[in-house]
Amino acid sequence: MKKFHVLTTALAAAVFLAGCGGNEAGNQKPRVAFTSMVSFGDSLSDVGSYAVGAVAAQGGGHYSINGIGATGLLWTNWTEFLSATLDLAAPCAAETGLNTIQAVVGAPPVPATFHDASTGGTCTNYAQGGARVTNPVGPGNALLFNASVPSTYSNAIGQLTVPVQTQIANYLAHNGGKFTSDQLVTVFAGGNDIFINVATFQATVGAGGDPTAAATAAVTAMAQAGTEEAGYINAQILANGATHVVVVNLPDVSLTPFAIGSGASGQALVKSMTQAFNSALQGNLTASANLVFVDAFAASEDQATHMAQYGLDNVTTPTCTSSSSLVCTKNTLIGAVAPAASGAAATAANTYEYADSVHPTPYGYRLLAELVSEQLAIKGWL
Amino acid sequence: MKKHSIATALVATAALCGAGAAHAQAAGDVMVKLGWNKIMPKVRSTELSAPSLPGSTIDIKSASALFFTAAYMVTDNASVEFLGGLPYKHDIIGTGSVQGVGKIGSIHQISPTLLMQYRFLSPDSPFRPRIGVGPTFAWFYGSKGSAALTAVTNPGGPPTTIGGDTELGATTELGASFKINKHWFVDAAVLKTFINTEAKLSTGQRTRARLNPVAVNASIGYTF
Repeated sequence: MKKFHVLTTALAAAVFLAGCGGNEAGNQKPRVAFTSMVSFGDSLSDVGSYAVGAVAAQGGGHYSINGIGATGLLWTNWTEFLSATLDLAAPCAAETGLNTIQAVVGAPPVPATFHDASTGGTCTNYAQGGARVTNPVGPGNALLFNASVPSTYSNAIGQLTVPVQTQIANYLAHNGGKFTSDQLVTVFAGGNDIFINVATFQATVGAGGDPTAAATAAVTAMAQAGTEEAGYINAQILANGATHVVVVNLPDVSLTPFAIGSGASGQALVKSMTQAFNSALQGNLTASANLVFVDAFAASEDQATHMAQYGLDNVTTPTCTSSSSLVCTKNTLIGAVAPAASGAAATAANTYEYADSVHPTPYGYRLLAELVSEQLAIKGWL
Repeated sequence: MKKHSIATALVATAALCGAGAAHAQAAGDVMVKLGWNKIMPKVRSTELSAPSLPGSTIDIKSASALFFTAAYMVTDNASVEFLGGLPYKHDIIGTGSVQGVGKIGSIHQISPTLLMQYRFLSPDSPFRPRIGVGPTFAWFYGSKGSAALTAVTNPGGPPTTIGGDTELGATTELGASFKINKHWFVDAAVLKTFINTEAKLSTGQRTRARLNPVAVNASIGYTF
């Protein structure tokens, strides 16, 4: 029966061999070897344009719950989650500064300074809180401060609000007028055009203007902004050598605490404005194999209707006690999500979508990063 | 009657080889086989549990490997056969709402199976069709993740890994052997296994998958 022994040994060997090898990470390199990520947009992509002066003093700079690991997650903004996924260094703000009105805020202004190639730096995130698509004056800009109107006082912080159009122009001016094929370029804007146009609508109606005409004007203005953003992407980004461009449309702003607070009619108007922007943006983008369009609008609605599937418990209550999350930290959270003990992470905040009335928690940003990652993977870039 | 003509041809071949008919698949015989087996999972997976993109499902692709068996003829018609072999490496791809992300990982498995078989026709018949049924023990191990898997489950975080369970299933078999000579025979079989498993990600999400693979194999056997 010698042959039988040989067989037994072979079987045993096969089983033994099979037992080798645990569960491994596998190849974690993205399919495209990106060397940098260049971001244009507003507060939703801002990683610290205003983390200076009065804002830095409060531990702020991100439009979310500030502080590395504040909620136990590794990153705060979606561009940070995404760059880590792409095996890139953490993004940093290409331009910082604050036009703070010292008489109001009590802290001095901080001059605008570039940290990109123009000053020998490596920062390529040009997104700034308050930035609009084209108009240089967005929410938080000191030019909107009016000493006789208390509701404008928050603008004394003096955000630079360099619009997307100028952000792209600055990049091109500082980088030889070209994008490269190993860059991932992200564009995500439009929210501040909503807020400014809603304010204009309210002012018009408040002054006795025709609500219908004012609403039409607001929706028309958003379509215009969407068309302009598409134009900049076509003519300034795609036409200047970018081969990996991600465009994120506006999430459904009508689902934010900001819009919910304005009632059903306000929500309806904001939804119309958001849709007008998104359809103009998508409709005017040049068809290109170098472009990935991420539908954050559909995703945000899905998150609100299927909260549990996304690990969310609350999509309507801001976690921060401060009106702007720019200076929110784990020490300024509502009781429901405050850290269990001093020094602990505010992990309960990871079940909330919103940090303030419009900005996501770090977890909310992570969901956006997952959505973008999924689209990049489907495209074959990740 | 095509099978019959194939059988006839094989018998003719056997005759050419000068084989006798003394030894066949008769009570007390021990047979071993070595061949190639292809496993084709017919996957239906549940949605990946929260937190995840709704509708994320997976498919598990086919894999092939060398396999071997050892059988013992309990009677002239009843036999017991053990199926073992080298590990199979299956690619895992995203489907459902993550359709298009492509390969998100891979996993190895071995699935030793013990079949109770009934072999038709007489022990010295050159052609022995058979049916079989028995348990399959599937052992999933040695998985690999990917950048895409990490990106859609924990972007920017540590790599996501995939864990598989060990599972017990049931296998049915349709097979036949054709005698070449006194010792050697060729064999082919189709097997259907009924088995489920649960894939667990290191990020906490799970998906239950009905695998129910169909396997086809061809082998060369030797009767002692």
